[in-house]
Amino acid sequence: MSSGISFAVNGRGVTAQIDGAATLLDVIRNDLGLTGTKEGCTEGECGACTVLIDGKPVHSCIYPAVSVDGHSVVTIEGISDGETGRAVQEAFWDAGGIQCGFCTPGFIVTVAALLENNPAPSEDEVRIALAGNICRCTGYSQILDAVEVVVSGKERA
Amino acid sequence: MKVRRVTTTEQALEALAEHGSAAQPLAGGTDVMVQLSRNEISPDVLVPINDLAELSTVETNGGVRVGALVTHETLAKGALGSGYRSIAEAAHTVGGWQTQAVGTLGGNICNASPAADTLPPLLVHDAELELRSSGGSRTLGLEEFLVGRRQTRRAPDELLVSVGLTPGAPRSGDVYLKVGRRSAVEVAIVGLAMRLVFDRNEIVSKARIALASVAAVPLRVRAAETLLEGEALDGHLLDEVSAAVLGATSPIDDLRASATYRRLLVPGLVRRAAGVCARRAGVSSPVEEAYQ
Amino acid sequence: MTIVGERFRRTDGEPKARGEAIFGVDYLPQGTIHAVLLRSPVPSGRIVGLDVSAAKAMPGVRAVISAADVPDTRAGWVLREQPLFARDRVRYEGEPVAGIAADTLEQAREARDTIRLEIEETPAVVDLDYALSEDSPVLHPEWESYVPTLGEYPRGRNVAAECISDPEGVEEAFEAAERIIEDEYRVQRQYQAYIEPKGAVAIYQGGRYEVHTAHQFPFNVRDRIAQYLDIRPSQVRVIGHTIGGGFGAKLDASIEPHACALSRAAGGLPVKIVNTRTEDMITCPSREDAITRIRTGLDKDGNMIARELVVIAGNGAYSGEMPWLASIALHCARGVYRAGPTRVKSFLVYTNTAPTGAFRGVNGVYLYHAVERHMDHIASVLGRDRREYRLQHLFEPGEVLLNDQVLDDAGILGEAFDAVEEAAPWEERLAATAGPMKGVAIGAAWWVTNPMPGTATVKLNEDGTIGVITAATDNGSGAVNLGITQIVAEKLGVQPEDVYVTMPDTDAAGFDAGSQGSRTTRIVGKAASIASDEVIGKIKQTASELLEAAPSDIVIADGKVFVAGSPDSGLTLGDVAMAATWSVGPIQGTGSFLTPFPDFNPGCATGLMFPSFPTPTYHVHLAEVEVDPVTGAVKVTRYVVAQEVGKVISPNGVYGQVSGGVTQGIGYALYESLRIGEDGRYQERNLENYRLPLAVDIPRVEFSPLEHPDPDGPFGAKGVGENSVLLGAAVIANAVVDAIGVPIDRLPITPEVVLKAIAAKHSAAVA
Repeated sequence: MSSGISFAVNGRGVTAQIDGAATLLDVIRNDLGLTGTKEGCTEGECGACTVLIDGKPVHSCIYPAVSVDGHSVVTIEGISDGETGRAVQEAFWDAGGIQCGFCTPGFIVTVAALLENNPAPSEDEVRIALAGNICRCTGYSQILDAVEVVVSGKERA
Repeated sequence: MKVRRVTTTEQALEALAEHGSAAQPLAGGTDVMVQLSRNEISPDVLVPINDLAELSTVETNGGVRVGALVTHETLAKGALGSGYRSIAEAAHTVGGWQTQAVGTLGGNICNASPAADTLPPLLVHDAELELRSSGGSRTLGLEEFLVGRRQTRRAPDELLVSVGLTPGAPRSGDVYLKVGRRSAVEVAIVGLAMRLVFDRNEIVSKARIALASVAAVPLRVRAAETLLEGEALDGHLLDEVSAAVLGATSPIDDLRASATYRRLLVPGLVRRAAGVCARRAGVSSPVEEAYQ
Repeated sequence: MTIVGERFRRTDGEPKARGEAIFGVDYLPQGTIHAVLLRSPVPSGRIVGLDVSAAKAMPGVRAVISAADVPDTRAGWVLREQPLFARDRVRYEGEPVAGIAADTLEQAREARDTIRLEIEETPAVVDLDYALSEDSPVLHPEWESYVPTLGEYPRGRNVAAECISDPEGVEEAFEAAERIIEDEYRVQRQYQAYIEPKGAVAIYQGGRYEVHTAHQFPFNVRDRIAQYLDIRPSQVRVIGHTIGGGFGAKLDASIEPHACALSRAAGGLPVKIVNTRTEDMITCPSREDAITRIRTGLDKDGNMIARELVVIAGNGAYSGEMPWLASIALHCARGVYRAGPTRVKSFLVYTNTAPTGAFRGVNGVYLYHAVERHMDHIASVLGRDRREYRLQHLFEPGEVLLNDQVLDDAGILGEAFDAVEEAAPWEERLAATAGPMKGVAIGAAWWVTNPMPGTATVKLNEDGTIGVITAATDNGSGAVNLGITQIVAEKLGVQPEDVYVTMPDTDAAGFDAGSQGSRTTRIVGKAASIASDEVIGKIKQTASELLEAAPSDIVIADGKVFVAGSPDSGLTLGDVAMAATWSVGPIQGTGSFLTPFPDFNPGCATGLMFPSFPTPTYHVHLAEVEVDPVTGAVKVTRYVVAQEVGKVISPNGVYGQVSGGVTQGIGYALYESLRIGEDGRYQERNLENYRLPLAVDIPRVEFSPLEHPDPDGPFGAKGVGENSVLLGAAVIANAVVDAIGVPIDRLPITPEVVLKAIAAKHSAAVA
């Protein structure tokens, strides 16, 4: 039984017909064709599917699509529309925070949300904020470096 | 699976009245969606309630009343104030930020997992639940509400709308300690909440101890509380408290840990928790941890 | 040098940061239908009934196939033993029994649910010692009929492979020993846990199969599909896509051959299969479970004078590449310490579990765990300082190994100890961790750089940029998008962003042995370097005519070509490319490379399939831990690495490999385990139960690269990628034992393991 929802994705209004139990990730990847958001575990453990809903990071693989009706979603594809998001993308690339890149969209989205809320987090705060995102390649050091690059850049500005 | 769209609490209650046990309220979805994908539940109708703003408020006058849709993130930031640190600490350990951002207190309560992090701290704060249906509302103690693993006394037409907590007290301290394999994003192997109120002579005037993951439901251990009340903290007393806790709980072997380990944890957690409560209450007497 | 050794951004970084990179699981050509596999729900049994007729009649279904629909043949990397679909018997939980393709994934799943599969269960062989015993049922009663692909090797009954070295003098040395120290260690399986689950799209068209997969070794997929479908390898074209991590698990085919057979059965429609996370976990070629039994004879002064190592490792139900690796026990039996005459017995045994396979640091992680735990045990029995005892026995330059391989450069080990000493002075760290519940440990290793062949074609594009055509794959390490790219850029005087490397395509590029064993930067980097030399020669030839100078006077730098001494009056690379294209033809060059195996004594062992370690590297790690006495939780507070790399090509890439490998080592040591239940089923079946290290769990790794350029490597490069995982379990286990004063002889060292050990010590003390 499908149900109509309308919401904003990366600033554009969209409508979708969804099955009751559809996840936000299903809609983003399959209906909207935005494949930058990744599916890693479908259980809210790995964080590869992280998107922002009204600015908050959410595991879209376990978020009910019906619940975004009337809300605003930002995916990795829309992160570069914001100054912070762009800076985070650039910093991940620059600092070596990207290896295979499959977890990267989720990390970048989470970090962008963190820095919007807290422009100068301590390293411990960054680590805690990233606990819902798993990276199997980097050992996290260069991801932390990337966040540091953005934070210190902002301080200089 | 159908979706019943509602914009007010009343509409949600009507939906529940109409569909009864075939309806599943849906708040942050962090438990429900996983259970749906694992085919552990199969409701006919989902009732999303995530946008019901009237259930997302925190009132703090005297006691505290927390709306069922208040998120773990809000709680973790200390929205309830310094008298409820155990609740903030528990909320801070429910999954990662993505779970805390949308996961709700009411969801954690109604999911009634034996390992639910917020339940032990709610128990030590004598949480009272306000359940509402289209026919009216009633108040139930959290302890009474929890029946078994994922079983509660919520009637199919009822919605948990708010949680009332006992007022804070001077010279009191509370804490939630959680054990997992990693430093974060764990289902509790054991979770222990403690709340101690001291009198001017540093005697415990009121004690609450509750644990998760040691029985089918998170539970308070009254025998242990009684041992503490009227006494000053010391190592011997805390050993007796631990023995009482172990006597009242029935941990099991599961994938995450053995019953033996869960039992081994209790004495150290009790001592550590008592030490933190005392410190937070401003009590001077130190409490030593086991094996140090 | 201006490019090699400098920090650059990986050339595939921007699309990955922006979410634009198309990974294997993102690839979806028009008209794709979706398939699922019906997998055996039990680890061992006889198939007595399989009825797919209802499934065929379900809505949207395009094809349902099982063993009856595919050639009756067996495939395998080292031994042809595995059927595409289980034919009469199932040998592990998750073994494919049938494939279902339908218009939508939901339809395929619904159709699968209608298949009637009857299996008469037989007892699963799970325990390694039991599997090896005469009492055990034999998993493959027909084992003698299986055909090895690389020549026969010792195997039989449930022994999938063995390597035995029993030189003269071992028994005598043990008899002469003053005392003998003996240990047994047990380790669980480790899941590679790449974040992108396995997936593939296959298209049968014109009598050929086109396969799209994010894979570490596309040519291996090609060859395996050819075996399964009984066709020529050239009838298969494998096209690589961006890989969401592999770590060894994506070196052999998995669902690709099934997708091929389904596409053919569905009339050539593109068929996509993607594992669910649970499917992926329970069928993944994980790091093997193993028992190591190690014994050392000591003389009256405490010197090690005799060694025996017995390894029993879990092969799972089929072999993959595992037989090839059984002989690694011979190369690691003494670690990097002299220990006198040494006997090694390494057994790889079949059990009714998912086939194990390669995971970064194959075999080495638990072999070094055993050797280094044993070293600490010996030192503690003797009351000797653990570092000093290691240095006393450390390999020396010219060390002759058990297989007679000679390590001329073993002196690097001493340098590595010195480098770690500089970062974390041992006496100081001992003092700093002297208190209760704090510990420190040090350990050392040597390792191989995979020598297998690769090739690259380098072309000068008409706009002066560089194209590199190769089937080398970047599994995320940066070996292609930093390593090869920086090597070619340095050679041809361009910026890395002007070097374009193709994605792998088995039709378009020559054979490449895959992203394994840290080989890509060195092997394919060298091939590309050779190819670049050919390009340079042609550029100079063309430019010498245009500039009227001798080719030897032509200089190529900063994207320009000029006569030495006159950098301002030269040509652009584009000018030269255009001139050459329309006069002598386009400029390109090709190079191929492999490393020969170092000399060894073939008679030193039976089953010596991995005979010696080419391009060795040397490693010393130090770890410090703190233990929570209430919970038993271990926190790694410090981790120091000194590692021989030959030459740092890309600092960003090298550090990323070291930090990532250490993290997987910490995961193996403390959190991760894929436990096999008594029923032969994995207990951990999703990422909620399988615990991967998080950002909150891992310290920043302190790293000292050591550079002793290899004359054969590109700019001296040796293998870097996998080595950093080798010693994590060893040094963390030893640091925990140092912290709590109780031996722990299993992995992972969970809080439960630690607290039980502390409690046992405590109650023993009270008693």
